[in-house]
Amino acid sequence: MITAVRTPESLAAAVGHAAAGGRLMAGGTVVMAQVNSGSVGSPELVSLRRAGIGGISLDGSAARIGATTTLAEVEESPELAFLRDAVRSIASPAIRSLATVGGNLFVPQPYGDLAVCLLALDATVEIAGPDGSREVPVDVVLANGVAPGEVVTAVRLAVPAPGTWFYHKAMRRKLNSAAIVAVAAVVGTAGGVVTSARIALGGVAPRPVRAVSAEGVLIGRPLETDVLDEAGRAARGDIEPFDDAYASAWYRARVLPVHLRRAFLG
Amino acid sequence: MASQVVNLRVNERSREFLAAPGTSLLSSLRDALGLMAAKRGCAQGSCGTCTVLLDGRPVMSCLVAVETVDGASVRTLEGVARDGELDEVQAAFLEGFATQCGFCTAGMIMSAEALLDRNPDPTREDVVEAISGNVCRCTGYGPIVDAILDAAARRRP
Amino acid sequence: MRYKTNPIDRTYFADEPAEDFNVIGSVVQRSDALGHVTGRTTFFEDLSPPDLLHVKMHRSTRHHARILGVDLTDALAVPGVVRILTHADIPNNVFTPLKLIGVQPDDEPVLAEGKVRYLGEPICAVVAETEAAAYEGAARVRVDYEELPAVLDVEEALAEGAPIVNEYHGNNYFTYEGHHCRRIRFGDVESAFAAADHVFEWRYQSAPIEHAPTETTGCIVVPQPDGRLRIHSDTQACFFTLDNTALILGTPFNKLRIVGGTVGGGFGGKVDIAVEPVACVAAMLTRQPVKYVYSRYEEMQVSSPRAAERIYIKDAVMADGRITGRKITLYVDAGAYSRHSPYGTTKAAAHLPGPYSIPNVWADCHCVFTNRTPSSAMRGFGVTIGDFALESQMDRIARELSMDPLRLRLINAYRDGDMKAHRKVAEGTALVEVIQKAAEMVGHELPAEYRQMSSMDRASMDREGR
Repeated sequence: MITAVRTPESLAAAVGHAAAGGRLMAGGTVVMAQVNSGSVGSPELVSLRRAGIGGISLDGSAARIGATTTLAEVEESPELAFLRDAVRSIASPAIRSLATVGGNLFVPQPYGDLAVCLLALDATVEIAGPDGSREVPVDVVLANGVAPGEVVTAVRLAVPAPGTWFYHKAMRRKLNSAAIVAVAAVVGTAGGVVTSARIALGGVAPRPVRAVSAEGVLIGRPLETDVLDEAGRAARGDIEPFDDAYASAWYRARVLPVHLRRAFLG
Repeated sequence: MASQVVNLRVNERSREFLAAPGTSLLSSLRDALGLMAAKRGCAQGSCGTCTVLLDGRPVMSCLVAVETVDGASVRTLEGVARDGELDEVQAAFLEGFATQCGFCTAGMIMSAEALLDRNPDPTREDVVEAISGNVCRCTGYGPIVDAILDAAARRRP
Repeated sequence: MRYKTNPIDRTYFADEPAEDFNVIGSVVQRSDALGHVTGRTTFFEDLSPPDLLHVKMHRSTRHHARILGVDLTDALAVPGVVRILTHADIPNNVFTPLKLIGVQPDDEPVLAEGKVRYLGEPICAVVAETEAAAYEGAARVRVDYEELPAVLDVEEALAEGAPIVNEYHGNNYFTYEGHHCRRIRFGDVESAFAAADHVFEWRYQSAPIEHAPTETTGCIVVPQPDGRLRIHSDTQACFFTLDNTALILGTPFNKLRIVGGTVGGGFGGKVDIAVEPVACVAAMLTRQPVKYVYSRYEEMQVSSPRAAERIYIKDAVMADGRITGRKITLYVDAGAYSRHSPYGTTKAAAHLPGPYSIPNVWADCHCVFTNRTPSSAMRGFGVTIGDFALESQMDRIARELSMDPLRLRLINAYRDGDMKAHRKVAEGTALVEVIQKAAEMVGHELPAEYRQMSSMDRASMDREGR
């Protein structure tokens, strides 16, 4: 049973409550669902809603997105327009006006499509804790989470150059459904061949994963059907698919190459 | 920790009430304020029957810890009719047979209000996206989408 | 926007007086729609009586197990927990909802007694001052189990040596007037198979289907000053629920009053007396209003779905498309308890062999007990899955014969005056005309002799069609 809900008005106070054992909550879309079913582990909740860690700022192509920035705010941001399709593939409007960028790093797959994007974007995560703050690559947070008492305060990313951003999500329904396969990628080309590639996959492992095998296939070759099919087959080596109500592990692996190809060729 | 006093501006009226720790906005509206239009369908943010506008945005009110939004402004279906007159969305739902069991209706209408507040001239696709979090298990989506488009037309000068 | 209606094709109603058509084809506003669009419709949960207590259930974590012990100590220690009900608190704990129409035996405990027969079966009801305390209490109930082998497949349940699911029946099937299944015997199917040009046999099956109403199953019971209980429920069957609840409580019917009829989606899923008896007992024992409503998880896990079915159909078919014999073995997975499935299985049998005149029919329809969630009513239950199987069978036969599937159906469609397999004479069939009209509307061409067929003229069809 919940005995206290804290709504600290500063980051320091939030870190203090978190360090004292409170369960952090940003948009509440995960934690409140547990509260409502009597299954939240902690008696104390710490809301980040008023901790002053929201907002989007841009310096050239370097973007900083505060942790409590909602998905709806990202969706509406002209600076982050490249993420709009990805964000609109997540849940529904009434969830996107609550769910946050920071919270998205901590939801279990096959949810957390924005985290897949951040992995492809090689984002950096700013973390504040009782012993000061640190910055770590997003893959570290996706793999290990943060320490007790730590609070994610922002993510930093470079807005990709025009024509280098790719996103595609396969779902059971066109809207408001979890990923069967999500593909996010930053791929640069020159002279008709791929010169750089970062591909992240969602829905196909317990956490978002890099498709490093697929990246290797693409480098030095054109973004064409047969090359992408080969990359998609190679990507099966990078995944640990699972069964859930949306799709079987077998199906996820089976359709991965199709959706990897569609991310680039439509 | 004891219950907290929470202040909300609900349907243009200031309301003050006590909330036990962990109480959702939905429970507060229903149990503390007696506003029963928003429904509990899943308490998991999956069905949309509890959709209300929080500071102008549609939210699943079952997922909002009410203590964390002290001072906010909330709009529910009870606040949609003006001086007893149905608004355009309500009238379009009524005349377009967009209700069956009625359990999803409050959430559907609030999602529609949120859409039309921001986008007075939506396409059919915009409407479908706006209600993508609202489940109608009687499968009456066709008339609901039609009604929202009709409401937009009624509202245009 | 104006709601549009389609014009009525009155060809088949030529004898009806025109003034009788004053509703069909006109726009009639729903009486409840204004309440819905203003949020004023009152569903059961829109009631907020003072001192309301909340019930949450501790449920079985096993498919099939003996209950060795139940420890309520930790649960009762949770602040706010008022009382915990077990089977001993329910006056007539074992029931079956269709006893009202004579179906027996009573085979289902309101709260588990001695053993559990499906995952999620209710064992103890925790009554608390808040929903959170009720959840916490339910989580702290400790049940000691001795696991029993579970059977989760209908044919395995009927096999020799299968574990007995429901001792009240003694077998893993419902007994119909001394028979192990509902049967149809009409003509001689074996002779039909021997004389047929083709024999086709295929198997069909379905999974359970959950109604998933947006409003979950629930009720609020409010004790009245005169000693009666007022039950606010989303049951689809107010008086069926009231009578069953009274029998379980061992109380005269007039001591209960039910307020209902406003249902946030039912689809057949809210007729099982799932919550009212426990809420009534809790209200009687505490003398306070009590709410017992399923969470979404409970609605998905334990509310009764449409039964899974498995259906084998073997047909004797002549080269011209006439079906001369149909043999059907049908299994309805009732889950652990009868609920409405004995009736659903009878409906399945009554629906066979489909709307076709087949001179030789044999059917065995089994209502089978397994350790799965009890199944029950849902929109056309007993009939829907059978139709899926029967019509799939018709399409597959047509494909095998390289024949137009509509013509195959027109040849075999029942006509007024035909003797059906249940030895009732068919009347008002209209199937021939419906197929003809549907074909016309979708531009599916039929030869003249098929367009001239009539459901009211078997002789002309025999003359021209066969």
